[in-house]
Amino acid sequence: MPRMATRSCSLAALGMVNALGRHPDEIWPRLLRGDQSGFRAREDLVPGRALVVAEVAGELPAVPDRLRHYACRNNSLTLAALEQIEKPISDLIQAVGRQRIGVVMGTSTSGVSDAEIAIRHRVETGSLARSFHYAQLEFGGVAGFVAELLGLAGPAYTISTACSSGARALVSARSLLALGVCDAVIAGATDSLCGLTTNGFAALQVLSAGITNPSSLRRDGLTLGEGSALFLVTPEAGGIQLCGVGESSEAHHMSAPDPDGLGAEHAMRGALADARLRPEQIAYLNLHGTGTSLNDRMESSAIARVFGVSPACSSTKSLVGHTLGAAGAMEAGFCWLVLHEASAGEIAPIPHVYDGELDPELLGLRLAAPGLRAPAGPVMTNSFGFGGNNCTLILAGSPA
Amino acid sequence: MIPVHVQKWAAWAPGHEDAQAWRGWCAEPRPLAAEGRPEASFLPALLRRRCSALTRIMLTVAFDCCEPEQRARVGSVFASRHGNINESIELLERLAQQLPLSPTRFSHSVHNAQAGLFSIAAGNRRASSSIAAEAETFACGYLEALTFLEREPESPVLLVMADVPLSAAFAGLVDEPVTSYGLGLLLASEGPGTRLDFGIGAGGSAAPRTPWPDALEFLRWLESPEPRLALGTGPRRFEWAKPV
Repeated sequence: MPRMATRSCSLAALGMVNALGRHPDEIWPRLLRGDQSGFRAREDLVPGRALVVAEVAGELPAVPDRLRHYACRNNSLTLAALEQIEKPISDLIQAVGRQRIGVVMGTSTSGVSDAEIAIRHRVETGSLARSFHYAQLEFGGVAGFVAELLGLAGPAYTISTACSSGARALVSARSLLALGVCDAVIAGATDSLCGLTTNGFAALQVLSAGITNPSSLRRDGLTLGEGSALFLVTPEAGGIQLCGVGESSEAHHMSAPDPDGLGAEHAMRGALADARLRPEQIAYLNLHGTGTSLNDRMESSAIARVFGVSPACSSTKSLVGHTLGAAGAMEAGFCWLVLHEASAGEIAPIPHVYDGELDPELLGLRLAAPGLRAPAGPVMTNSFGFGGNNCTLILAGSPA
Repeated sequence: MIPVHVQKWAAWAPGHEDAQAWRGWCAEPRPLAAEGRPEASFLPALLRRRCSALTRIMLTVAFDCCEPEQRARVGSVFASRHGNINESIELLERLAQQLPLSPTRFSHSVHNAQAGLFSIAAGNRRASSSIAAEAETFACGYLEALTFLEREPESPVLLVMADVPLSAAFAGLVDEPVTSYGLGLLLASEGPGTRLDFGIGAGGSAAPRTPWPDALEFLRWLESPEPRLALGTGPRRFEWAKPV
C-alpha cells in the first residue's frame, strides 16, 4: 500500500470539557494550579456509597430536537466540546466539502447513563422509557451523532477499546488522512459518568475511597471522571502535530495489566520509533497514572526501561478523574495545551498532584512539581486499557 | 481507490460452518437462522464455558482465518454493531434492582472484550482495535483495517465482523436482519489473494438492502464474478471493485 512521503497530521483545533471547566482557557490555568475542585461525592451512583467522582457540573447544551434519537448526556458532553470548534469546522466544510470530512470518536460508555433510566423503567413497568432510542446507547451513535449534526458524509465510526479508545481515535484519524480517504477528521472521545461503570469498577475493587492519589505509597485506586475532548485533525504541516503513535496488546488478562509492563514498554518504544525521536528528547510525559498499585508499578517499570530517568511527568487523573474511553483524547488535549502554552523556549509541565508520599518502588519517575518549567520539546501520553489494549501518542510543534 | 489483498476468509452462521457450506450459500443466498453458537472446541474448556455466543463466533472466525503461525502476528480489528450490549443490558437490569455486579461479567461486557480474549487465546501482542458504526459497521471495520495497513504495510491485518440478535429488552428497536453470524477477512497490502479496491463516494439513491447482513453480502460478492459492490443507505456509499 502506498505510504505518503510526508505524513503530516496537524491537531488544528481543540474543544474540551471536563470537571475543571468548559473550555481549554478555563481548564489550563486550573491544571497548572493543581486544582482538585472538580471532585464531588455522589450518593446516587453506587448503592450505599458516597462515591467521589469528577463530574461536569451544571447544564449541558441540549441535543437539537431533530436529533432527539441521539439525545443523551454523553452526546451533550460531545456537543459542549464541539461548539468550541464550530468556526474552524464550518470553514473546513466550506473549503473541502462535507464528503471529505470524517469522524472518529472514542467512548467506553456512549449513552448508557440514559439507557439505565430506560431499563429501570422497563424493570418497573414492563416497557422502555419512551424517550429511549437505541442510537443513544449503541457505540456507533457517538460518531453518528457528530456526523449527522454537522451533515458530514465522510466515514464516521466509533472506537471502543476501553481506556485507550480516545488515543486510538487520533491514531485512526491520522491514518485516514494518510490514506487520502478524508481531507479532515473530527477525532476525539467522550465518556459520561453512569451507574454501569461506577458499579462495575466498584465490583472490581479498584475505586479510591476519595480522590485518586497516583504514585503514592498510600494510593488506594482510581477515581472516575467524565468529559469530552475533540480535535480538528488535518493533513497540514506545521502547528501542533501528532508525530508518533505506538500500539500493543497484552495477551495477559481482561482487567489487569501485565505486571512487567511489557505492553506499555512496547507502546512507548513504538511511538518513539514512529516519531523518529530518542527518549531523552521527550520534554513531558502524561502518565496513564490511574492510581492503582498494579498500573503505577507496571507503568513506572516500563518507563524506567525506556527512559532510564523519566522526563518531567504527571498523572492528570487526580485533577479530572479517569475519564475512561475519553482519557486518551483528554490527555492528548492536555499535551496539546502544554505545547500551545509554551513560551520563550520553555513548557510548563502539568504538576503531579498527590500526597507527596512517593512509592519507593516507582524508580526513576520525575514527577512534575507545581511551577516547574522545562525546555520545550515533544510530549508523550500513555493510555492502557482493559482487555490489554495500549496506545502511546507523541505530539510536537508549536501553535501555527 | 485503496488496494488490498484478501488472503483468506472464514465465516460462521447457524448451519453454515465451513467453506463448502458458504460457497453453497454464496451461490444461492437466503436469510439465515437467528440463533446459534459454534462449538469453538479449540478454546480451553474453562474459557469456553464462560464465552458468550458472540465471543465464540468471533474467536471461531478469527482462528479459522489465520494459519496457526499467523495468529500471534496479525494486527486485528473487531467490528460489531451491538458488541456485548446484551451483557450490558443484563448488568443494567441488575442495577435497576440495586443488585451488585459481577466483576468478571463487567470486564467481559466492554466492547473490546473479544479483542482482549483473542489476544490472550492467540498470544497476540500486536495492535488491535474494536469499532462500531451503526448500520455501516462492516464497511467502517474494513476501513479501520486499512488504517492498520497504512501504519504497518508489511503486516497482515485480521478483520472480524460479527453480531448476534439484540436480547428481548431491545428486540425490534433496530431495522436489520436478525441473524447470528461472523465473517473474518485476512487482509494484506501485497501478496497472494484476491485484490480489491475500496473507496468512499457520495450516497444518494440508496443501494438495495439485502435480507442478510452487509458482511455476508460482501462475502457473496467476493465469491461471485460481479466486478463491483456498493453498500450503504445513508449520505455515503462504500464501494469495492475487483480490478480487471
